[in-house]
Amino acid sequence: MIKHNIIVFFRSIKRSKSSFLINMIGLSTGMACTLLISLWVMDELGVDKFHEKNDRIFQVIEHLNFSDGVQTMIETFGPMAELLVTEFPEVEYASEAIPPSWFGKHNLSTDEKSIKAVGQIVGKDYFNIFSFGLILGNKAQVLKDPNSIVLSKSLAISLFGTTENSIGKAISFEEDKQFMVSGVYEDTPSNSTIQFDFALSSHAYKDLPPWNSLHSWNGSGPQVYVLLKEGTNINAFNEKVDRLRKSTNEKSIRTAVLVPFSKHYLHGTYENGKQVGGRIQYVKLFSIIALIILVIACINFMNLSTARATKRLKEIGVKKAVGANRRIFITQFLGESLLMAFMALIFSVTMVTLFLPQFNVIVGKQLALTFSANLIFIILGITIFTGIIAGSYPAIYLSGFNAITILKGKLDQSLGEIWTRKGLVIIQFSLSIVLIASVLVVYKQMQYVQNQNLGYEQDNIVHFNLEGQIKKQREAFIAELKKLPGIQNASSTTHNMVGHNWSVGLDWEGRDERNIAFQVAGVDYDFIETMDMDIVAGRGFSREFGADSTGLVFNQTAIQTMNIKDPIGKIVRGFYGEGTIIGVVKDFHFKSLHDKVEPLFMTMMPQATKKIMARIEAGMEKEVLAEIQHLYKTFNPSLPFEYEFLDKNFQKLYKSEQRVASLSKYFAGLAVLISCLGLFGLVIFTIERRRKEISIRKVLGQKASQITVMLSSEFAKLVLASAIIALPIAYLLISNWLSSFSYHISLNFWYFLSAGLLAMVIAMLTVGSQTISAANKNPVGGLREE
Amino acid sequence: MLLQLNNIFKWVNSGGQRIFLLKDINLEVQEGEFISVMGPSGSGKSTLLNVIGMLDGFEEGEYHFLDESVHNLREKHRANLYKEYIGFVFQQYHLLDDLTVQENLEMPLLYKKLKGAERKAKVADMLDRFNIVGKKDLFPAQLSGGQQQLVGIARALISNPKLILADEPTGNLNSKQGEEIMDLFKQLNEEGVTIIQVTHSEKNAAYGSRIINLLDGRMI
Repeated sequence: MIKHNIIVFFRSIKRSKSSFLINMIGLSTGMACTLLISLWVMDELGVDKFHEKNDRIFQVIEHLNFSDGVQTMIETFGPMAELLVTEFPEVEYASEAIPPSWFGKHNLSTDEKSIKAVGQIVGKDYFNIFSFGLILGNKAQVLKDPNSIVLSKSLAISLFGTTENSIGKAISFEEDKQFMVSGVYEDTPSNSTIQFDFALSSHAYKDLPPWNSLHSWNGSGPQVYVLLKEGTNINAFNEKVDRLRKSTNEKSIRTAVLVPFSKHYLHGTYENGKQVGGRIQYVKLFSIIALIILVIACINFMNLSTARATKRLKEIGVKKAVGANRRIFITQFLGESLLMAFMALIFSVTMVTLFLPQFNVIVGKQLALTFSANLIFIILGITIFTGIIAGSYPAIYLSGFNAITILKGKLDQSLGEIWTRKGLVIIQFSLSIVLIASVLVVYKQMQYVQNQNLGYEQDNIVHFNLEGQIKKQREAFIAELKKLPGIQNASSTTHNMVGHNWSVGLDWEGRDERNIAFQVAGVDYDFIETMDMDIVAGRGFSREFGADSTGLVFNQTAIQTMNIKDPIGKIVRGFYGEGTIIGVVKDFHFKSLHDKVEPLFMTMMPQATKKIMARIEAGMEKEVLAEIQHLYKTFNPSLPFEYEFLDKNFQKLYKSEQRVASLSKYFAGLAVLISCLGLFGLVIFTIERRRKEISIRKVLGQKASQITVMLSSEFAKLVLASAIIALPIAYLLISNWLSSFSYHISLNFWYFLSAGLLAMVIAMLTVGSQTISAANKNPVGGLREE
Repeated sequence: MLLQLNNIFKWVNSGGQRIFLLKDINLEVQEGEFISVMGPSGSGKSTLLNVIGMLDGFEEGEYHFLDESVHNLREKHRANLYKEYIGFVFQQYHLLDDLTVQENLEMPLLYKKLKGAERKAKVADMLDRFNIVGKKDLFPAQLSGGQQQLVGIARALISNPKLILADEPTGNLNSKQGEEIMDLFKQLNEEGVTIIQVTHSEKNAAYGSRIINLLDGRMI
């Protein structure tokens, strides 16, 4: 029996190759898509969970009670770690950390080599908390000595050529301080949010600004990680921590809370002190999309197999007449669709293998198709689910017919069934139109974001670290830099103005009770000019005025928030003492367009600047960069010259949007493809059903062109109905997405209209070939069948 | 006695009206008979054949087949009954296009839970008996109409039925092919198989031992 069924299956494939192909393409793309998304989702769910003691690792976050709501930040104060360890027996280990994103890239050199690598500063028990496997060195010892440095395996290899005997070797940090290698760890796995090439002991930076804040209860501090002992009740513990936290500073607007470290990656967004989601929303969104695509593909399969029923029906009728019962057909059809699903699986695995590198680029991951038990379980689950869903309709519906009805050809498609079929196509097209419209708007918004006037000219600004000898001879270097041809202006700053985050509180005459956070930018002369910012009142920093070290330049938002009339000359007190407002600069964006411009001020801080910013003439980038490198090398002969462009930094703020944009582009394409397959199936089915009608119309003298129009318009109506359903949904979804940007495009009727039109054109192209060929067929064939 | 129909009525409701397809049919068939059912189009010939073949039900009356009361049987038992004792031959042959001659013959045996070797033996027997061994690996589309019907009859015979029901078996054949098929039926009948055929042709009806005439669902 099985053999018989398999023979029937393969022979029917051979006979109807095109419909087999449609089925296969639909099913396997659907499955491939689901598989890719499953890989991504599994990876997302696994991020940061590889640490052995994952369930006991917590991070201290702080809620700040500002007048306009609660702000949450993942930084706390450095002494917190020590305090927690000494005060609470529940704490096994605690470690502070200046994370890699903050500490950044630094130059490490041996006698032969000089390499820039990303590092972090951590407490002595860091490796006791996190499972970054040490190859060399002892977890408890590696960071005990302030002069020790722990390297990743690949950094050790690039510096020394081998990891062997690297313990005890000397490394010069920024050509300034000497460290001794005390350990080597395995490279951080790609599913770790903490990516670092080396770690230094927090004691090494006790006295060195700005990292000395690590050890004080002032200013924004580092991150603090805690390993709790087994069986600790986290809620009770958090209350104890808060009580202790308040006892250090009663007036503090801050509340310290321990949250699971690995949860932070997916559940990292806080609004008004409450956890409101984060990346988990994308995980959910894409899981739903995967399911929808799979279901659409299954619907196609059902649609096509029932549409082909005329051919299968005879088989059912004959077999029933010779004694086959319903169960036999259910097994046969379910078996067939399961077999199809498994064949589709093979195709989809091939597709996934082919597209994985591209997919990895889009999602910024290193996903691999390794057949773990988990993945095999998921794959089999998807396949069996697909097979059963796709085969259920033909298996249950077709097998129920009476042999005589079938053999006499008296079987009429019920009205309900036709509507179901049309309904499914409408659903498919509605989804496609929603996706097309979304892609259009997302694309427009990204274009808007890229061309938005930020309040300064972001193009052609190159920046690089103020390091080595340049740090010591900053003024001389900048003077030389300005002399280079093609350099329009140059200055230095503490922050590169992108995603900036250093805030303080201020005091001034007439200040009310509100707590306002001001962003601070430490700058050098000519900074405002280099950035091409507009001064709207007063003046910028200038060498011609002697007292500019106490001068402050605020942005418009700051002045409005402070509610100061005639700000120029007013005195403001802050962490540095007293300052005078000398100018007001027009608002400019230093965060992504999601956020409103915040209050900010600039102050002269040439000694603390860390970045050189230079504006170069458009079109001369290549030549000028070579010149800058040459100049850089004359100051820092052994350091590698690494630069970045400001506009590129700005693009990075929209990484996740850009990922969503390009992913949704692919999903929209897929949804359109699969929907067209569904439509194609419906066209074939409809034409089959109306063959007699078409023949009669032709015999009675209707022209082929009229018949084509008649048939096509039926499908045009379906697409029109889809558009009517889809556009309001698309409008709601899109305006919701846009509202997450404080600055966004206004929605235009045209986006929706063109999405609908595009769907219509694609649909008509799909339908056209079939209707034209049906309309041109010899009518005799259609009539003889009766 | 092979089967007996007592006061069989079959109708459908259409627009509130009861349209009779079979009206008060009384028929007794003995084993070894060769019956021809005749009548104009729409007189209920095929319906009667389907009722006898248990593929179709009826609204009133009694039907006894061997010792079983078909009208009291459940669907599953009915299916077992006709699977066991009845073979069908159709005007359009109804061979499965995707199966070879050999596989078409084997198909009914699949539903009788016979072992592979047994099935092979029976198929080989049948191919031999009908002289189509050389065509066993061909597909229906590669055969002439007469040959296809030959396979159709072989398929009906393969499970050793007591009764063959043939609905215009020569309707799609030319006269020479038709004659061959009718000769075959006669020969089978002489070997002991009961046959009921539906036909339009007086000539074919003459092969049988008894003729039943239908008009508007009634026996006349």
